Amino acid sequence: MPLTLLTFLLFVLKAFVVIMFAMNVAVLLTWADRRQGAMIQDRVGPNRAVAWIPTIAAQVLAVAPALAAVAGIAFVVVKLVPDPEVKGERAMLFAQLGILFTWLTGVFIAGRVQIRGVQNSFDAWLLSFGDPRRIFYAGLAAHFIALFVGVGLSGSAYGEQIRDLGYGGGAGLLIFAILSGAIYAAYVIRNEPRYGLRLVGLLHPAADGLKSIFKEDFIPPNADKFLHSLAPFISFFPALVVMGVIPFGDTLCFTLKDGHLGDLMSFVPRSGVCVEGAVNLQVVSLDVGLLYFFALAGTGIVGAALAGWASDNKYSLLGGVRAASQMVSYEVTMGLTLVGAVMVYGTLRVDEMIRWQSEHAWGIFVQPAAFFLFFTAAVAESKRIPFDIPEGESEIVAGYFTEYSGMKFAMFFFAEYIAVVTSSGLMSALFLGGWDLPFLHRDGLHVVLGDTVIFEQVLPHLLVVVVGALGFVLKTVTLCWLQLMIRWTLPRFRYDQLMRLGWRKLLPASLGNVLATGLIVLTIASAGPAVGKFMDLLADYTKALVALAGFGGFIYFVVFLVKPVHKKKSLASTSAQFAAAAGGTRSVRMGA
Amino acid sequence: MKTETAALGPKKVTGSVVARPNRTASVQTYIPEIAKGLGITMKHFFQNTKEMAFGQRPDPVTEGISHGINTVSYPEQKRPYPARFRGVHRLTHRDDGSPRCVACLCCSTACPAQCIHIEAGEYPEGDPKRGYERFPKRFVIDELRCIFCGFCVEACPCDAIRMDTGVHAAPYDSREQFIFEKDILMGFPGRDGSQLTANPRHEPGESSHPGVDREKH
Repeated sequence: MPLTLLTFLLFVLKAFVVIMFAMNVAVLLTWADRRQGAMIQDRVGPNRAVAWIPTIAAQVLAVAPALAAVAGIAFVVVKLVPDPEVKGERAMLFAQLGILFTWLTGVFIAGRVQIRGVQNSFDAWLLSFGDPRRIFYAGLAAHFIALFVGVGLSGSAYGEQIRDLGYGGGAGLLIFAILSGAIYAAYVIRNEPRYGLRLVGLLHPAADGLKSIFKEDFIPPNADKFLHSLAPFISFFPALVVMGVIPFGDTLCFTLKDGHLGDLMSFVPRSGVCVEGAVNLQVVSLDVGLLYFFALAGTGIVGAALAGWASDNKYSLLGGVRAASQMVSYEVTMGLTLVGAVMVYGTLRVDEMIRWQSEHAWGIFVQPAAFFLFFTAAVAESKRIPFDIPEGESEIVAGYFTEYSGMKFAMFFFAEYIAVVTSSGLMSALFLGGWDLPFLHRDGLHVVLGDTVIFEQVLPHLLVVVVGALGFVLKTVTLCWLQLMIRWTLPRFRYDQLMRLGWRKLLPASLGNVLATGLIVLTIASAGPAVGKFMDLLADYTKALVALAGFGGFIYFVVFLVKPVHKKKSLASTSAQFAAAAGGTRSVRMGA
Repeated sequence: MKTETAALGPKKVTGSVVARPNRTASVQTYIPEIAKGLGITMKHFFQNTKEMAFGQRPDPVTEGISHGINTVSYPEQKRPYPARFRGVHRLTHRDDGSPRCVACLCCSTACPAQCIHIEAGEYPEGDPKRGYERFPKRFVIDELRCIFCGFCVEACPCDAIRMDTGVHAAPYDSREQFIFEKDILMGFPGRDGSQLTANPRHEPGESSHPGVDREKH
């Protein structure tokens, strides 16, 4: 497309979305890292940040979104009545959603009542069902009954009545559940003088940011003032802009009206990308995508080295030198690791790589060794535990940012977390299929293994793209989370161990990976169509494996959630006896 | 007689040789061990997060020996002090609401920190208690000087001063506020909420009074 005002605005919008995504996730990570580290060590962590708001404001916050949602649902139900053919599907959707929200609301309120105690007759009525798990089981049963009734009676004489009942009743149930949950939340807090907005401690990073801004910005007297101030920006900027080449969703296809973008297409064919009217969900679609990533990620070294040099502090200098040597070493591994992936995908464009993975198999199955090597190198590149020797609190105070305070100090940390987000984004694009989800193609769901078709369902274009984008976010956040987990698990490497791992283990391994990939690619290419067909079948099985693993993980998670907990009670101490007599430690008020 | 001389050179080392730990292949490759470690941290993370979200956290005091987060979330949660904890002093009451204290000065004499000040007063002429006991006109404890040794409680012959309030001295912002006068000290109830004590008191003149009686003897 030529550069018009529209394309420019789209570019700005996409850049805004990507920057907001990276920065918000990074801000949340700064908090989640601490909170999660505490939870691992059986502590609570930073959850005390609270914004006190008037009760009426809290009630409005609870009810207004619910009212908006109800208005939206009512509009869809009344105004957008579908054709009779698809009304059945819509009825099933409404019924299932209504049941889902009803039991979710019930379980949530019952859980809160269990925690804080019965306050009104509704609480007592809800607890009369016993354990909140029973509400969940009842909801599960309702889901299956609705499914069987809907499917079983769709062709019978009662089909039409059942369909209308599901359509109206399901939507009614949905509205009822959303409204009652919101109104109950507003009702419970009616007598509180003010309401503490805690959001499980999510306000903590905001408080931290405010604090950093207002703290003193100290520059050592003999430091190079210009470079000292420049360094945080140099390490911050490249970490952020590399998100630009990572696509966060599949290409959106618009119709063209006399050269301009028209409406979004409802349905698109499975193969091929629309040439005209295409809007890539990617800030810039570069032919050299991956090289751009490495070029800018390499710039981050300068920031750390400069900070160490400009601080006029021996520890800072040591930290800066360590950072530079470490990042240069692991940059090599990162680059060479991806050579194998580039050989398989046959392109440097990140969006093309995702398309290849969508058509064949995810990178983690094609290049498993490369994934682990790249993951290790990426953790080292972000200078985080277990590779945090540039920081090295126990040896060199805080390394290259020893002499930084206030927001400049925070920017180094921010850059570190943004590097985590961007490297996770790149890994999910290169090895976990980016926006691709198993069997979800551009035109809908196709569960196909080789030539065997198991299930097919055409889905709207927008839905597919949005679900894919959500999948990309989920993968990225999961990889970020994994990096935090590693941080809280592993001890720090020694400097020589770090260098040995980089140059003598990871580098030869990545070279070996290139060699092995080349051999395998050549073998398969020259083996003939039968082998190619077999490889395609294998690729389909990897998709099935991912889907099954995801489904199994979900089931396991649900089972884990409903599993009862057994606590050991011990009243050996008089403290415990006093607490037990008062009905638990929560309600103990000391003194008169 | 032959004298024994110590052998020259380094002392002979005794002991058994400890074998180097057998580093298996899985330890040397590092990766399975990483997976194990990650498994442990993830287990703790998920379990604790779930218990926190569902309100299944163990009670930090009564269920403190369970696995999970046993942090006391002070000040929303407070660990009750044990039964024999020596807290802020209280002056116990008689049935009529007057202090049991007879101003014998035993407590202020026993006090190693010299933080108790008592001004004794005589009962008026004609009062049946006059001549048997006195009463504290002022009873002052400096809670900042107090070392909470409990000697005053031990010394008291009348069970008039106790430290069983279960309350620690609150942090005030000036020294004057730590000087507790009689009315403050008489305001604290005991752990059981009562201002009295379980020990019976027999006033002079009552038939159950065990001591020497001025009228009879």
